[in-house]
Amino acid sequence: MKTASLTAYIVERLPEIWQRIGEHIFLTGISTVTAVLVGIPLSILAFYRPGLRGPLLGTVSILQTIPSLAMLVILLALFQKIGVIPAIVALILYALLPIVRNTLAALQGIAPEIIEAAQGIGMTEWQKMRLIRIPLGIPVIMAGIRTASVAGVGIATLAAFIGAGGLGEFINRGLALSNTRLIFLGAIPAAILALLVDFVLGYIEKVCDPKRNRYRSHRFQVAMKLSIVLVPLFLLIPVFISLSPWSSQTSGYSEKNETKSVNVVRIASKNFTEQHILSEMMAQMIEKQTQLSVERKFNLGGTIICHQALKRGEIDLYAEYTGTGLMAILKLPAINNPDEVYHRVSEEYRNRFNLIWLQPFGFNNTYTITVRKQDALRNQWKIISDLIPMSSKLVAGFSGEFQERPDGYPGFQEIYGFKFREVHDLDPGLIYQALSKGAVDVIDGYLTDGRIPAYNLVSLKDDKKFFPPYHAAPVVREETLNAYPGLRKALAPLGSLIDNSTMMVLNFEVNENKRDIPELVTEFLKDKEIL
Amino acid sequence: MIALDQISKSYDGVSRIVDNLSLEVLEGEVLMVLGSSGCGKSTILKMINRLIEPTEGRIYLDGKDIQHQDPIALRRSIGYVTQGIGLFPHLSIQENISMVPRLLGWPEDRINNRCRELFELVHLSSKIHANRFPDELSGGQQQRVAVARALAADPAYLLMDEPFGALDAITRDSLQQEFLDLKQHLNKTIIFVTHDIVEAVTLGDRIAILHEGRLEQIGTSVEILENPATEFVQNLFAKSVKYWKGFKNIL
Repeated sequence: MKTASLTAYIVERLPEIWQRIGEHIFLTGISTVTAVLVGIPLSILAFYRPGLRGPLLGTVSILQTIPSLAMLVILLALFQKIGVIPAIVALILYALLPIVRNTLAALQGIAPEIIEAAQGIGMTEWQKMRLIRIPLGIPVIMAGIRTASVAGVGIATLAAFIGAGGLGEFINRGLALSNTRLIFLGAIPAAILALLVDFVLGYIEKVCDPKRNRYRSHRFQVAMKLSIVLVPLFLLIPVFISLSPWSSQTSGYSEKNETKSVNVVRIASKNFTEQHILSEMMAQMIEKQTQLSVERKFNLGGTIICHQALKRGEIDLYAEYTGTGLMAILKLPAINNPDEVYHRVSEEYRNRFNLIWLQPFGFNNTYTITVRKQDALRNQWKIISDLIPMSSKLVAGFSGEFQERPDGYPGFQEIYGFKFREVHDLDPGLIYQALSKGAVDVIDGYLTDGRIPAYNLVSLKDDKKFFPPYHAAPVVREETLNAYPGLRKALAPLGSLIDNSTMMVLNFEVNENKRDIPELVTEFLKDKEIL
Repeated sequence: MIALDQISKSYDGVSRIVDNLSLEVLEGEVLMVLGSSGCGKSTILKMINRLIEPTEGRIYLDGKDIQHQDPIALRRSIGYVTQGIGLFPHLSIQENISMVPRLLGWPEDRINNRCRELFELVHLSSKIHANRFPDELSGGQQQRVAVARALAADPAYLLMDEPFGALDAITRDSLQQEFLDLKQHLNKTIIFVTHDIVEAVTLGDRIAILHEGRLEQIGTSVEILENPATEFVQNLFAKSVKYWKGFKNIL
């Protein structure tokens, strides 16, 4: 792409880049500082109670081995909350190991004759700690803090998966929209930030090393004072940023979620393109037709995360698919009649969760078993059952959600009675590319994804009628509808507005032509004369 | 006066590193504790400032049982020069020397005055050395600092654990001379541990000879040379006398 447009692309997103960097520093900074405040006293305690050392080091080591995404999801379940708090807790837990290990090593590593001298001249235990062990151990302790911070910057990119913001937000969005530029927009600043943190803490480490600063004692003091002032200032950057006007426009960050403000509707989306488009449509309609303001919490995660957030009232609405509601959420058996499915889920959702299904958008985004067109032609594949003879040779690439859902691969195997040779777990944004490049032979496509025709792929007919209809519709908290009566009316024009081919075109515009979603949505709604 | 009354120390309950040892150190005297390594001489010093607790027996300082004293206050009242010098590498010489007065909470100007005295006493320059760090000083200078640190709060007692052991012969010689001057000057009660017979004879008012945790003999060098109490003592000095004779012949 041209330099000019790339520059424009970045400049346009600069306010959000700054905001995300601020959030990233906030997440890493708060968690590292907390880990220091917790880890160092714990290490000192364990130093005096050798019986505690094994359990402490064991615990922090085990915490370190938990994969970061798993940790985030576990904490999400534990706190029953999306956002900053579970993310910070996860980062604290990861930061503990290097801090505790280095602090213990530092305290234990002081030469015995120095300790004997300290004791011999009449220092108390605490004086030995304060005047001898800690000052002599500072370089090693600082090295641990530095390791923890740099690792923290990396791990913090995952915080976006649970809606805690940070630079991972770009990466996630890039993954969801299969947009490499967006991924780089998060990845490159994160890498620079990690290097910067490493450099700054490396400098502080040098400054704190008593041996290196003897004749620079004046400079030493100045640098110490400077770093004591600069580090908290560094941490305050996100506060300044969040006070500035642009931050309120951009999507879902932080404590703002905790207390629901009046006249704000919070709209979430799952982590793929179509969901972003639908949620943006709903957002623009609400902004245009009502006095309400909209908080966009897009790309929140998969079905379960969105549903849980909606149930708990952390969001007010998102677009769900009838078949998904029926099978993945309600765990009911498949139904083939679209109206029947819609009525069933509406009724159950209202009774069980106090959630209301509004009128469907019109299209049916069912799962489709999708293959390359040339393979289909060569092997005369038309329906899914045609795959049976060759199934033991075929490699499938499925999204994680499909592999787990009852209306996904588990149920599929039961109904169709066959398995593929191997199944790779792929990000939903990447499966089409993987199939067209030949990395896998079969994928779980979305019927409305424009990349199916564009990449020369074909969907096979669901001959055993395994997949239920998946008509998308807004799902809203009953409470919200009652509080803002205008909401239902504002969203009504979206009913039956989009058929399958329209949705396919919109998806394609975003995925392949890299169109800006808000702009595309505005254009579309104006074209339909409802905005 | 320091009195050790039937002191024993055992780590395993069977072998005794110090075995039923009694001795008295008189006011103002320098008692040299002489013995080979592993004979328990450092252990004796560390029992006096309660870095190690004896298994049996009592230790009295000015007639008071140290077992009934606060170990921290006790240690601050006794100067201690450790075997490995043991200066604090992250603190300047001035900070090292002023540590005990600081722990005792002396006012700043009193500390500064005392430091100036101490620098002079151990033949260091407060101008040149005060802001240096231990590893920038020679071994002999570091040892002087260690002595100054031990003397900082003007303790009545001084425990010195092979303070010149790691120094080269020439430096040791000059420090021994300075020690003799210091001793005259200060009039402190000193227990000085050494494995060097010449050092023991040169520096001490009396010598206590230790072997395998037991006291073999205690007395002035003349008393011991003339009347060795045991075969061990006799052999110990016979060897040295032979050595000195050989040395004279070469000359």
